[in-house]
Amino acid sequence: MQLKHGLISVDDHVQEPPTLWTERLSKARWGDRIPRLERARDGRERWLLDGEVLLDGHSAKAGALMADRNREPERWEEVPPAAYDPGERLKAMDEAGIDYSVLYPTVAGLAGETFGRLRDPELELACVAAYNDWLIEEWAGASERFVPQCLVPLWPPEAAAREIERAVSRGHRGVVFPSLPMHLRPLPHISGPEYDPVWRTCTELNVPLCLHAGASRELQYEPSANLSAALARALDAVTRPVSSVFVISLYSFSRILLRHPRLRIVLAESALSWGMLYMEWADHQFEHDGLKREGYDLKPSEMFHRQCYFTSWFDEVAPFLEFVGADHILWSTKFPLATSTWPRTRETVERCLKGVSPEARAKVLWQNAASLYRL
Amino acid sequence: MEIKYGLISADSHAAFDRDAFTARMSASRWGERIPQVVEIERAGARLDRWRVYGKIADNSVCNCPALMGEPFPTYPDRWEQVPKTAYDPRARLSALDTDGVDAEVLFPNPPGGTFFEFGDAAFELDVVRAYNDALGEWTRASDRYWPLAIVPYLSPPAIIAREIERARALGHRGVNVLGQMPKSLPHLTDPYWDPLWSVCQDLAMPVHFHGSAGLRAGASVRKWEGYTPRQAHSASTATSAVTPAQIIPQLIFSGVTERFARLKCVFAEAGIGGLNYVIAACDHEWESRRLWKEGIRTRPSETIRRQMYVNFWFEAEGIKLRHHIGIDNIMWESDFPHVASFYPRSWESVERVLRGVPAEDRRKLLYENALRVYQIDAAPATNH
Repeated sequence: MQLKHGLISVDDHVQEPPTLWTERLSKARWGDRIPRLERARDGRERWLLDGEVLLDGHSAKAGALMADRNREPERWEEVPPAAYDPGERLKAMDEAGIDYSVLYPTVAGLAGETFGRLRDPELELACVAAYNDWLIEEWAGASERFVPQCLVPLWPPEAAAREIERAVSRGHRGVVFPSLPMHLRPLPHISGPEYDPVWRTCTELNVPLCLHAGASRELQYEPSANLSAALARALDAVTRPVSSVFVISLYSFSRILLRHPRLRIVLAESALSWGMLYMEWADHQFEHDGLKREGYDLKPSEMFHRQCYFTSWFDEVAPFLEFVGADHILWSTKFPLATSTWPRTRETVERCLKGVSPEARAKVLWQNAASLYRL
Repeated sequence: MEIKYGLISADSHAAFDRDAFTARMSASRWGERIPQVVEIERAGARLDRWRVYGKIADNSVCNCPALMGEPFPTYPDRWEQVPKTAYDPRARLSALDTDGVDAEVLFPNPPGGTFFEFGDAAFELDVVRAYNDALGEWTRASDRYWPLAIVPYLSPPAIIAREIERARALGHRGVNVLGQMPKSLPHLTDPYWDPLWSVCQDLAMPVHFHGSAGLRAGASVRKWEGYTPRQAHSASTATSAVTPAQIIPQLIFSGVTERFARLKCVFAEAGIGGLNYVIAACDHEWESRRLWKEGIRTRPSETIRRQMYVNFWFEAEGIKLRHHIGIDNIMWESDFPHVASFYPRSWESVERVLRGVPAEDRRKLLYENALRVYQIDAAPATNH
């Protein structure tokens, strides 16, 4: 591993190109159900999957690269190349001072949730596998500075485990898992032992399980319908990371973390404030409700400090450093979403890490990520 | 009023006497629908329960575990078990003295603080009036009670505004509001509700969102059958903690706080730690998306300093960040007599949470901010 800038961004998004699935899925078998970009009557180009419109009817999510951040591309030719072209992305990373970039999807869902809504597990697997192959061939193949993470078919868990094994053997280094599968389609609750094969496989292969905010719309309070698109999107961006509190709470109190002590969990797009708030609240409630007597070996904060990471892109680090712990904070740029710190990535890093010791700074900006992703 | 102890609870719960509604509502008009305590039989046992609009409530006849002794938490099954200190304002003063609390802001207790669920606007309005009358009377027992009025949601906004004015005249100090309006009505931030915000602003009645504030969307992860009741309770507390982060951005980005720049909003039983996030995240999006061009002229952190308040009771780590959160925007709360309350040892928890906090900050957190938010004239504390 080579570091020029001293920053590994653990949460960026690739924009899938229109040909990704049409070239890799059998037209004879899947026909019009294949995810594809379609031109609507008004000239807009929007993503369709099995009859469902994706990305709110836009061609991409790349607000940070648009002349007006409050707009998203309405035709593919409007999509800025740094969103979908690995070569252009590398140039943007050099400009922003990013050495390595850990990749999440966009059309497949910011949290990898899109295909989880399909009721057909075979189509789900075909879409997921195509993405996983494409990311290795087009991005990881282009530069070792891209850290690929695979998608997962949600059910059955054995199929999920098999796809993780296949993807990791091809070079994937993390698993993008939509944290609440039962919110996406009728599936057993994530808390039960049914999903143990997934957690076991991640543990055995030593790849982090990455739970990105936005896996369920149910955890966000919808804005009023009469707001402008710009304000509605700003509200969406602010309320999305709130879900990290629900998710870490669920994975802790349901004992997933206790049953799988070597499973490592990244709460992507979580913001550091929530790490502090969650641990203080959860520990207090744990004591107040007397859960020690209910067979928990560890308090919620102890589970967290053994296995979890919170990520930030705009929080000041110093106030949370002691309680959340320098070993459990990761940095990200969220390129190229509208919420990204691009193009002020470098100055944001300096502002947010003010007052942080050089040792802690190195952990937050790259060391933790390097060890988590074995770079 | 006199500040004797130097501690004001910005979130406590006033219980109702069993005849609070039957004594105030027309029997000929509402009959059996009037909220009242009735005896029922369940699994061979005789229990007392509130019955509202003919429906038996699921919960205990009085939510007052802090007054019920061991084993904790115990909830009364029969009305005779309910301590007078829960519902009798004169008797309750001794509990305030025991706990060393000067005054308390009064939120609802069974039969509850909303009555829109039955879809009967006339009934709702009459119950709300009875509720506001009953709690308004507490202020005649003592100036240490600062009750919050409730809202007849199904009535036209002009009628709602008139009820808030009436409640203010009765002695109410604020209004308790849902974070998400009933399904048949416009969104919380729709201009439909402007008359409500307008009257609250004009009368200097802070608007209160309590706990999860009745949020349906954004409220919780789907239930898991594998939890014991205690585990389910622990796991669900996230719901309350994130309430300010679900609601404050809605109020700011919809322009409610621009239109009503003197409206104050208090978040009860949601803690203080979440406000860090709201400040940082709203400023980040406002700046990078240049939302002043969308009509949101004020930087969100300024709006929050000016209009938003949060309450603490256990967050020692949160209190270390009091100057990030806003030293003038934090109040103490006890939640008395609910399960979260430290009664009768509130001061022990106060000392634990405020260890090392200088006197000037302590005064703000424990009572000065509350006096300012609720516009109460008070003689200075002698001991604290």
